[in-house]
Amino acid sequence: MTDQKDDVYGDHISHKFNSELNELKTEFLKMGGMVEAQVEQAVKSLIDSDAELAEKTRLKDKEVDKLEKALDEEATLIIARRQPTARDLRLVISVIKMVADLERVGDEAKKIAKLALKLSEEGQAPRGYVEVRHISEHVLHMLHDSLDAFARLDSVQALQIMKEDKRVDEEYQAAARTLLTFMMEDNRNISRCMSVMGVLRALERVGDHACNIAENVIFMVEGEDVRHTPVEEAEKIVGG
Amino acid sequence: MNTMNATVTSEADMSETENTPLPETKPAEATIEEGVTVGQPFADDAKFQLRNVEVLYGENRAIKNISLDIARNEVIAFIGPSGCGKSTFLRCLNRMNDSIDICSVKGSLQLEGQDLYDPKRDVVELRARVGMVFQKPNPFPKSIYENVAYGPRIHGLANRKSDLDDIVENSLRKAGLWEEVKDRLDATATGMSGGQQQRLCIARAIAVSPEVVLMDEPCSALDPIATAKVEELIAELSESYTIVIVTHSMQQAARVSHRTAYFHLGHLVEVNDTNKVFTSPEHELTESYITGRFG
Amino acid sequence: MTDQTSQAELVRQSLKRRYRKERRFRAYGVIAIAIALSALVILFADIIGKGSAGFMKTTLNLEVELDGEMMYLDDATDERQIKMADFVEPLIQALMKELPSASESDRSAVRDLINPYASVTLRDALKENPDWLNTSRSMTFLAHTDVDVFVKHAGDSAYSIKLTEQQRDWVNQLVEKGVVETSFNDTFFKNGDSRDPSKAGILGAMIGSLLTMVVTLALSFPIGVAAAIYLEEFAPQNKLTDFIEVNINNLAAVPSIIFGLLGLAVFINLFGMPRSVPVVGGLVLTLMTLPTIIISSRAAIKSVPPSIREAAEGIGASKMQVVLHHVLPLAMPGMLTGSIIGMAQALGETAPLLLIGMVAFIVDVPNGFFDSATVLPVQVFLWAGSPELAFIERASAAIMVLLTFLIGMNALAIWLRKRLERRW
Repeated sequence: MTDQKDDVYGDHISHKFNSELNELKTEFLKMGGMVEAQVEQAVKSLIDSDAELAEKTRLKDKEVDKLEKALDEEATLIIARRQPTARDLRLVISVIKMVADLERVGDEAKKIAKLALKLSEEGQAPRGYVEVRHISEHVLHMLHDSLDAFARLDSVQALQIMKEDKRVDEEYQAAARTLLTFMMEDNRNISRCMSVMGVLRALERVGDHACNIAENVIFMVEGEDVRHTPVEEAEKIVGG
Repeated sequence: MNTMNATVTSEADMSETENTPLPETKPAEATIEEGVTVGQPFADDAKFQLRNVEVLYGENRAIKNISLDIARNEVIAFIGPSGCGKSTFLRCLNRMNDSIDICSVKGSLQLEGQDLYDPKRDVVELRARVGMVFQKPNPFPKSIYENVAYGPRIHGLANRKSDLDDIVENSLRKAGLWEEVKDRLDATATGMSGGQQQRLCIARAIAVSPEVVLMDEPCSALDPIATAKVEELIAELSESYTIVIVTHSMQQAARVSHRTAYFHLGHLVEVNDTNKVFTSPEHELTESYITGRFG
Repeated sequence: MTDQTSQAELVRQSLKRRYRKERRFRAYGVIAIAIALSALVILFADIIGKGSAGFMKTTLNLEVELDGEMMYLDDATDERQIKMADFVEPLIQALMKELPSASESDRSAVRDLINPYASVTLRDALKENPDWLNTSRSMTFLAHTDVDVFVKHAGDSAYSIKLTEQQRDWVNQLVEKGVVETSFNDTFFKNGDSRDPSKAGILGAMIGSLLTMVVTLALSFPIGVAAAIYLEEFAPQNKLTDFIEVNINNLAAVPSIIFGLLGLAVFINLFGMPRSVPVVGGLVLTLMTLPTIIISSRAAIKSVPPSIREAAEGIGASKMQVVLHHVLPLAMPGMLTGSIIGMAQALGETAPLLLIGMVAFIVDVPNGFFDSATVLPVQVFLWAGSPELAFIERASAAIMVLLTFLIGMNALAIWLRKRLERRW
């Protein structure tokens, strides 16, 4: 499947249909890029204690929401007008689902930005930021790859992301334990650490959404639903 | 929506550039291997067992080595572009091709283990078992009653008038037409609406209690409401009949059939569960056809 | 923009030319139809002008003195005496009475005003009513043909040459007196042919035509329809059937006189059938109409939509049932129309019948298929060729009768088609 590339959606008899699908795809990638930047900025504002950036990030969510609505509408119209089947149908359905995931990612970024604002106001020494940076890099990477896999229709790459998600979960567990130790060391750290914990949790959720997107990419490409299936089986589907 | 429309051109350009860096491999040429059908062409409880069927129009091979089972009480849809042989293949199943002199059928075609093309086989008996509904509603220019009663009468299915009345009523009921026409059974059938005429043709076909009903694009001349009624009827009939339907409407195939067979240039490319065919077909050609990529 | 306007200009110019062309084309059509119509009008005017007189007869209303002495007759029941009796004398006497200016020496001139068959009429009347002898009776007799023609065409000198000036004078007197009268010519429809125009009728020819048509219809319709059905539905497509098809189409174009020759050679010379009988005429006309009926029947069968055939086959009707139950009923209007047109053609046919002897002079009205007979168009042909003026108008009258039948048959064809035609 990896050898059939992007113009799989571009060779319909109806050129209008082609451009509609392409538009859906590019708009989705645009939204993905926006959300990706949002998460990145939120994490940056947290680490740099940049209240201004945090505020900007928080407001950016409005744009993402607008794009989400537009994409949903476009997908609905395609279904109504074209009654897509097979590959086209899977694309449209996946986009609808992935748009929801992206919107959630945006929400998580908003949450991080809010926490960053709160933390910067408190203005105390950073604790647990190493973990945040580490996990955020990982998660951002996953998000980026999942969008990339969507753009390339690369199910192998998508499968990789599914596996990554396990590692993120482990990292989150480890970071949580570390923060717990901080809190036990000093009572005054508790409120602060809880906020950082919230950030970590948000990042972990972003990872989950990236994983969902990857699963949808596999469905789009292979036509098999790999949600709630063990990775080994998913491997078989992608490999075969 | 406005923002989307405004960005169409620029975004499309962007996607082009975005896509170019990807490895430049052409899509694999979709190939058909003669006699090979992807998916599940065979069934356990086969009504029709068709093996290595070939149909020739003079020198021209209209059907190329097709093997297929049609299961009992299933609705199987034949789809494919014009001239792919789906109608020809359908007509083999009750030997409607017989009247065409240059047409010859090879291979093994069996209905419940009996050879269809056995020279000793009576084609009249076969057609009583395998009924047919055509593309254009073609009621006889007689009364509604006569249209339905004609089949049972020529086959001697009813000895008494009351028996015949029962058959007519039952058939019309099954075709969902009874309530609409019970007061005007003597009215001429050609005065009915297109959808009613087609349902009358279905009633006429099932009046001789066939085991199989073949439908050759039964809704192509009907409006959407009439089409919906006929589709509804097909769903009801599938409980007691095996139905083979040729259709140009993929949505129709998706709606009414259990299995879908995709024909291409005389080949049977893919047979699969309808749900599978319309969400993730196995063969590249099937996918191209059902997604509208042909040409 | 300029391009567009100039293009519109070009189109406008070409439009004018196109309209002119169309108008010219339509004018040709109108002219053609006008020529055809005027020819038809002239034909009808001529025939009706000449023929209408044929439907009238001229009679003499005479007070006849049936004097036994004068007629050499004393017992009207005696066959022998009646045969010998003189029935002309009472007529002459009766007419002389009406013509005071006529002297005894004009006897023969007066006699020439009375139809030669008038005496026969008188004899028959007396034979039936023997007690009329020695009484005076008022009776109506046919006038002489020459008088008939003169009276009907009064004022036209071309029609009076057969009468002397004195006779013309007498006739005019008689007309004034009301002795000579014209009335509807029932004898024309009651009699067979005759040498005397005033006695000649078309009943014989009509019955002859009828009998011939019955034979033709009875043979050509079933044979033609059967042949058409076989060729359309059952015949295999091969060289032989192609050959047959071509020949049938060619037969339709063969001059009818050839069929007459064929009939003469086969039916009369080979089979030894009698000449000039309706059966042979019917057989010959059957041969002639068969191609027409076969071709039109095939066209009618072809026009039955294949969907009906498929529908019947799909239910499991056998080939025979498909044809009998569906194709034939639907094709019947077309077949009937074709047949009626073919029959109308046959009804108007003369040439082949001349060759099988149906041109003979036959006085008796035929009683059966094997009686000598003639047919309407041949009767027209015979009368039209006769030199007597009175026969010319009889011929025209016969043409009118023939045309009435033809129009009637065509109307029947149209009515049948309208009536039986079914929409599918």
